[in-house]
Amino acid sequence: MTGAYPSEVVRVICAVASPFIALFGLYVIAHGHYGPGGGFAGGVFVAVGAILPRLTIDERLAYRLIPPAAGPLTAGIGLLAFLVVAVLPLFAGGAFLDYGALEIPGMEPARVRYLGILVVEVAVGLAVFGAMVLIFDTITGRSER
Amino acid sequence: MIVPLDIVLFVILIATAFLALHVKDLLAAVGLLSAYSLFAALLFAGLSALDVALVEAALGAGLTGVLFIAAILATTRRSAPRTDSRRRLVVIPLILGFVGLMLYASVDLPDRGDPDAPAHQGVATAYIEGSLEQTQTPNVVTAILADYRSQDTLGETLVIVTAALSAALVLVRRGDDEDEDEVAVGSTDARDGTGPTGGPVPTDDAGPTDDVEGER
Repeated sequence: MTGAYPSEVVRVICAVASPFIALFGLYVIAHGHYGPGGGFAGGVFVAVGAILPRLTIDERLAYRLIPPAAGPLTAGIGLLAFLVVAVLPLFAGGAFLDYGALEIPGMEPARVRYLGILVVEVAVGLAVFGAMVLIFDTITGRSER
Repeated sequence: MIVPLDIVLFVILIATAFLALHVKDLLAAVGLLSAYSLFAALLFAGLSALDVALVEAALGAGLTGVLFIAAILATTRRSAPRTDSRRRLVVIPLILGFVGLMLYASVDLPDRGDPDAPAHQGVATAYIEGSLEQTQTPNVVTAILADYRSQDTLGETLVIVTAALSAALVLVRRGDDEDEDEVAVGSTDARDGTGPTGGPVPTDDAGPTDDVEGER
């Protein structure tokens, strides 16, 4: 379905740009506390960094970088991480998704909520990344390997 | 209150949407839709909704176009010719009526940034005032999305993962199909001329006359 793009310019530009796009995605996820961004946009950016090589460079190389199994795997891990963070406060006597109820020694509740937001953003980013890669791989017929 | 830049962006939005509907080449339609999303992202940025603009630019202008192109490469590049022009007699008055209804309703909307607007009366004030102390997060949008309203985000994530899994279940190739696909990967170019590698398409671009051949 996909494969090496005939134009060398396009191939080189995409191969050089895609790691930086993925890096910007990681920045957007991590910077969600202080600026625009978060799990959704960042996950899409990282997914673009994974999908661009699949469209342009040699497909064996591209699929060795990010194997097709990474899609469903990261989507599941992300969703699971979100659910774990959501359920954990229940054991500490709090409400569903109330991270502030978790008591971590030496940390005030606001800091725990800060960390909870970070975990949620990373989980959402993983889930979105996995979902996008999975959709692309199924459309191009490469999901089984 | 509307600033002129918004008017320009709205005109471009309507023009790209109209063109995307009317262009015959589906790849061109996908490009126009991506342009539509990019200008929509600019509009969101003009409204200071930077988070939404970022998502719109990444998803709408970037990844959705890639997924559409992948779907086009897997199927066909030409849109089916429209047969029933009588339907327009019903659809166009309906759309115009809906637009009129929306315009009539928009008269009663509060001004942009009006502090007395109903949206700013409820719990939003508490979020804006308390989020920095309660969650140590300067970006209120992130604090609301991932803390105060995290059940919505959990639901959205569930929807996205479920949608991806459903797409995988619907579209996944069966075992007998795979062997054929394996052989054809290198030679798809010669077979249908639509160039899955995105290369030049010598036969398919000849003009609208070879519709039947282009259909594979």
